[in-house]
Amino acid sequence: MTEEEARGVLDQVVAAGGTHVEGILGGGSTSLTRFANNEVTQNVSERRYVLSVRVVDGKRAGRASGNDLSPAGIQRLVETATLSALHQPEIPDLEALPGPQVYRESDAADPATARFAPEDRAREVSRAISRCRAAGLQAAGIFETGQGTIGDYGEIEPLAIANGRGLFAYHRGTSAAFRVSALDGTASGWAGGESHRAGDLDADALAARATEKALRSRESMAWEPGRYTVVLEPAAVADLLQDMSWLSFGALPVQEGRSFLSGRMGERVLGENVTLRDDPFHPLHRGCPFDGEGIPTIPTTIVDRGVAKSPVYDRQTAAKDGRESTGHGLPAPNTVGPLARHLVLEGGSGSVEGLLGGIDRGLLVTRVWYTNVVDPKTVTLTGMTRDGLFAIEKGRISHAVRNFRFNQSMVQALNEVEGCSAPELTGGVVCPGLRIRSFHMTSVTEF
Amino acid sequence: MNDLAPLALDTALVRGADYADVRLIESSREEIQVKNGQVGGLDRSETVGIGVRVLVGGAWGYAATDELTREGVARCAAHAVAIGRSGAGLIRDPVRLAPEPAHRASWSSSCAIDPFTVPLEQKLDLLFRIDAGLTGARGVTIAECSLTFVRKRQLFVSSEGSRIDQTITRSGGGMSAIAVSGAEVQRRSYPQAEGFHRTLGYEFIDSVPWVEHAPRVAEEAVALLTADPCPSGEFDLILEGSQLALQIHESVGHPTELDRALGMEANYAGTSFLTPDLRHSLRFGSPCVNLVADATMPHGLATFGYDDDGVEAQSWHIVRDGVFVGYLTSRELAHRIGEPRSRACVRSDGWHHVPMIRMVNLNLMPGQGSLEDLLSDTGSGIYMETNRSWSIDQLRYNFQFKTEIAWEIRKGKRARMLRNPTYQGITPRFWNSCDFVCGPAEWKPWGVTNCGKGQPGQVAEMTHAAAPARFRRVRVGVGYDD
Repeated sequence: MTEEEARGVLDQVVAAGGTHVEGILGGGSTSLTRFANNEVTQNVSERRYVLSVRVVDGKRAGRASGNDLSPAGIQRLVETATLSALHQPEIPDLEALPGPQVYRESDAADPATARFAPEDRAREVSRAISRCRAAGLQAAGIFETGQGTIGDYGEIEPLAIANGRGLFAYHRGTSAAFRVSALDGTASGWAGGESHRAGDLDADALAARATEKALRSRESMAWEPGRYTVVLEPAAVADLLQDMSWLSFGALPVQEGRSFLSGRMGERVLGENVTLRDDPFHPLHRGCPFDGEGIPTIPTTIVDRGVAKSPVYDRQTAAKDGRESTGHGLPAPNTVGPLARHLVLEGGSGSVEGLLGGIDRGLLVTRVWYTNVVDPKTVTLTGMTRDGLFAIEKGRISHAVRNFRFNQSMVQALNEVEGCSAPELTGGVVCPGLRIRSFHMTSVTEF
Repeated sequence: MNDLAPLALDTALVRGADYADVRLIESSREEIQVKNGQVGGLDRSETVGIGVRVLVGGAWGYAATDELTREGVARCAAHAVAIGRSGAGLIRDPVRLAPEPAHRASWSSSCAIDPFTVPLEQKLDLLFRIDAGLTGARGVTIAECSLTFVRKRQLFVSSEGSRIDQTITRSGGGMSAIAVSGAEVQRRSYPQAEGFHRTLGYEFIDSVPWVEHAPRVAEEAVALLTADPCPSGEFDLILEGSQLALQIHESVGHPTELDRALGMEANYAGTSFLTPDLRHSLRFGSPCVNLVADATMPHGLATFGYDDDGVEAQSWHIVRDGVFVGYLTSRELAHRIGEPRSRACVRSDGWHHVPMIRMVNLNLMPGQGSLEDLLSDTGSGIYMETNRSWSIDQLRYNFQFKTEIAWEIRKGKRARMLRNPTYQGITPRFWNSCDFVCGPAEWKPWGVTNCGKGQPGQVAEMTHAAAPARFRRVRVGVGYDD
């Protein structure tokens, strides 16, 4: 939906609801070709928009959502939200609707990606399948492109926001992802890439990388559980950081005492070589320049050279701390609080392979799987290694190792970083690969 | 609006589809959350859209739109055919659908009190009474409770002559109290973690003693802060029903999805150690382990008349007397294991997403005896209740769970409360260590409402009925034994 079309819809919301109304329009289109066993197994496309209307009447608010964007449908949403507000108790700390804001540009739309056709996806998938088949392996994966704000699980983020006080925000972006697994029975390798430009993704090169890992994984040896020096590739780091962010980096868990940052602002909490921030304007992220409340997102340093600096804020948590919102809120009200969703972990300039030197006996982890929280305050996570776990002996990869389950505090891990590679965008995070002195592998699985 | 479905079907066939089905879906959803005495979220949404699935040259194509004009729907159907055609050169075996009679039917789940007509004030009154019970205990940091109501009306038409109208209404809610002190963050929930839902109307909400349980939930959360830590080592373990439900879900349900077992989820969710050659031979569990898939059970979260392949709901064994015997299948894949008919396991989470194999209700059938009998028979061990976190490898062997609370079992009784309980195991060894499943009086229909699968990701819900069961010599205390 163009800016003019979005404005047209939201103008109707404001016309129907007056100064007390807010409209959030989200959606777009996504297309995805899925393959497995060296053939295409699923091929889909969706076009979907949702309008969410909130009416704020003093200290009462009501919300209604729907996808009937006709004048009658919009009128109905405003009436439903108004009625809902009338029947709700007052919320003492409800924030009034914000006035007009100024937003920084985020160049995130690539016309070629928006035009990417099923035949284009088929061509790229064909190259990956050919690469894997030539090596005697089975390829499985996806090529996905999209424009707008439909998330990986169909969740819809704001594309445009307007309210009766004159606020209007609009963001247009495209996205593309290619992920491939190469398999030989239970031996597997994986590689993936993502960008706002489909043209940045080299399916053949990524398939070659997955193939190489799968071939090296054919003969794996079982190592004993225990503490190992590990080199985590960026995909593994990203997965762990996403969990850490959800648990720790928003102001709400900090205020509620649930975050390892609670009460520790200004103290050294992580290693001096760790700087973490949230920045939608990073050239690899190119994220939305405003949040679910229509507030401009400000790049925020969360941890600076190991020292806790600031969580990310929405309007409600900022008011509680006497601060300004950093523009990381979800549509209000919500029970989740603000989220850091454009994480950047600063890195170095070398390759992941460059981190192996000097490790006498350790592990190279391609990626991790099914991570979940064991202990929130220490950010202890469990999960499995997956799609390429390799022994590092005397600074070189020696052989594949049977996959481990880990139980590891991320606070402890980020206090034991011995090196980092150049950052890249993976799993929605800009991060490097990390060498960590001690990582706890607690049990081994069957493959 | 119903004339749009035949229009989509006709357009797909005219454009060259060999098979087509169309789902026109109207969805309503109401979610209300109260946190620490305030409305934390309240949204009522209504959406409608259409999804068109086609086979072209043996390859699938799928397109979905909310442009519900004749032009928009025709464009969507044509797009589905174009997508299917683009992949036809990249298939090895053209898709073959297992036979299914054409059904012309209407089916609705049970709903005595329409939850969408119950006044908002009544729902908020219940939530604020629960909240008062939770916040009444000194030491509770966060009190949260919620109600959720969902209705989906779906018209399914296919080029084979099926026309199926289904309406499913789901109601549910939940509560939790979180207590925080120093390094400890402890949570208790009721009736289970992530909420308790049935395919029923508001009468289900009225049937649950929410308010009565709130003070206990809060007090247990606070008591956990100073409870003894769960010990590490090998123990006889008793799992309460709702934790067992998630154990069934992760270690039985997902590995018996046939698309996974055949490698079709390999890049994302993974594959399965339960390969077709093991069916009828692998001793998955001990003889007291009987697991039945059942899309016909009353009020289950995956109870329906027909699946999104247009196949009638069924019930069948996945594990019989401990032996792995069955898969969750589709029309596309049934023939790959020599079965003549699909087991009707194909669902999607809305018009915008393509149907795929999803777990239906999957139940551990009851044995004999009460929980008291089981505790008494156990002598010493650990009893764990209510899930807190979960993780399992991509072949579904190595799992680890954390529960909210545990109690030491001493001399056949629940003794001291234990905090931060975890356990870990390997699926077939774990189920083979099961030697006691409680009887029908303890058997309850727990559920999962956040099951993720597929790319694009889809969320599904299903019931897992279970009674408490015992597992011998299980590794306990992982993650806290460093």
